[in-house]
Amino acid sequence: MAKEIIQVKNLKVHYPIRSGFWNRITDYVRAVDDVSLTINEGETYGLIGESGSGKSTTGKAIVGVEPVTSGQIIYKDVDVTKPSNRRKLNYNKDVQMIFQDSMSSLNPRKRIEDIIAEPIRNFENLTTDQERTRVQELLDIVGMPSDAIYKFPHEFSGGQRQRIGVARAVATNPRLIVADEPTSALDLSVQAQVLNFMKHIQQQYNIAYLFISHDLGVVKHMSENLAIMHRGRLVEIGSRADIYNHPMHIYTKRLLSAIPMVDVENRIKHKKHRQEVELEFQNDQSKWYDKNGCVYPLQQVSGNHWVALPKDEVIQEELNEKGRD
Amino acid sequence: MSDKKKNASKTEVKKAKISSPASSFKVVVREIVKDKVALTAFIIIVLILLFTFGGSLFLDSSKVTEINIIDAYNGWGVNGHLFGTDDGGRDIVNLLIMGGRNSILIGLGVTAVCELVGLVVGLVSGYYGGYIDAIIMRIVDFVQVLPRMPIEIVLVTVIPHYSAWSLVWIISVFGWTNTARYFRAFVLSQRDRDYVLASKTSGSSDLKIMFREVLPNITSMLIIDVVLTIAGNIGIETTLSFIGYGLPPTTPSLGTLIGFANDPVNVVNRPWLWLPATVMLLAISLSINYVGRALQRAGDARQREN
Repeated sequence: MAKEIIQVKNLKVHYPIRSGFWNRITDYVRAVDDVSLTINEGETYGLIGESGSGKSTTGKAIVGVEPVTSGQIIYKDVDVTKPSNRRKLNYNKDVQMIFQDSMSSLNPRKRIEDIIAEPIRNFENLTTDQERTRVQELLDIVGMPSDAIYKFPHEFSGGQRQRIGVARAVATNPRLIVADEPTSALDLSVQAQVLNFMKHIQQQYNIAYLFISHDLGVVKHMSENLAIMHRGRLVEIGSRADIYNHPMHIYTKRLLSAIPMVDVENRIKHKKHRQEVELEFQNDQSKWYDKNGCVYPLQQVSGNHWVALPKDEVIQEELNEKGRD
Repeated sequence: MSDKKKNASKTEVKKAKISSPASSFKVVVREIVKDKVALTAFIIIVLILLFTFGGSLFLDSSKVTEINIIDAYNGWGVNGHLFGTDDGGRDIVNLLIMGGRNSILIGLGVTAVCELVGLVVGLVSGYYGGYIDAIIMRIVDFVQVLPRMPIEIVLVTVIPHYSAWSLVWIISVFGWTNTARYFRAFVLSQRDRDYVLASKTSGSSDLKIMFREVLPNITSMLIIDVVLTIAGNIGIETTLSFIGYGLPPTTPSLGTLIGFANDPVNVVNRPWLWLPATVMLLAISLSINYVGRALQRAGDARQREN
């Protein structure tokens, strides 16, 4: 088995809600609630969920730009939720991030050279010439012309900007890149282009990705293992086959049924299936979600497959699973 | 701009086109040239600066304030004094040149101090947020509720070895708060942008992010604020001098000239004493404001008329 690179244990990110006359903390927004996952070396781990489900917050917490309420992120046997540990390890040399909005993630006042060289300047001691060669190399890898280094971000198209973002993320030869919806702001043909570059770089440098997305089609193309998130909690973890072929949680089923399909003949059938799943989701809310609207803790149903099932449901589902195998 | 030049000189590949960042100097120039009022205002500013700073090069400051009783209260154009003379026989044109220069210099000095302090405080407060922001903003609130004018008057009379420099510091003590608030607002809007996060993940220190990443993105606001506060600060200096608590009597200023209008006899019978200075103050304040508004449009794309 591949070696694990990072372990997230019971990660919680809560934001206080203040109200009342004294502006005291009355409740919390549980953006990320008890999330645990393990990413192996060189693999792509998909993290899927709807808007506001906490997937980006999880990603930012892993990179270290979001303060963690509790829980641990273990990297090289050290808990990197503490800033001092991150500094000691030069953590961000190894763990980088690709942002969703390529325009706002590149400083509009800086040239591409300075943007890509920023992590190199901070983590590596290179002379100006070496640094320039390295930047050229990186631009080469992501298929950008060499005169791009003198330009500003606004002179590029969305796909080109995202590739610059990828180049910056791989500048320090990281081992893990958190890709926060890297393609959701791009049109389909450019999406494929950027994804292929990411895959290409992954094979070349053995980088692991935490691929955050709400697009199940893209994730299917990219990742081996995935986790589904809903309302701050994990709903289902498993391999690609587990999730796509045997979805167990109603929310996963609902997500899968919502993938648009170009299949004119079976259109009516798909629509019916979608409506059935939606109806089940509406009717069985109380069964799959507790009274606060959160999903239940994860339970193992087979090897790598964990699902947030209600307690009494486990035995029944296990039987089903066995029957299917 | 200096950054651009530095990069350009490093460029070995000559064929590469050196491009400029979005909303650059060109936009500012275009915005001013297109707006006829702003263009006129800009020309007036240049003329006044030439008149005061250029003129003061040819004047001996000790001669200007020399008292010559025989020439006192000469009217318009009498004895070669274009705008007449004051109660001490001093030539008003010369006083206008020296006074205008002093007033503008003090305005610039106060602005420099206020902008520098306000910028740093605003950046720190806006960038860190949380408790640091809360503490700094309460200090700013406190300074802002203090009655500014009375305290300034008291300080002017109390301070030993009072000079133009002391006046700059006294005005600046109260001036930085508005600037700090102004910049804090812009930094707040910038700090959650992804490029700041990207810099954090790239391992840049907070100081570096504040001054190298966030600051270049609010430079247009900086320019606007500098221009607009210069006008305000010239006004404050003139006010203090007008009521007699500004510059020391040996240093002429627009305020002391306008101060002649305190005497009803002067208002009615000797308009040459106070009218030129008043017109000049009005012209420069209005002009600076018009240019400032053009800059504001250049800096804020939403207000721009294309």
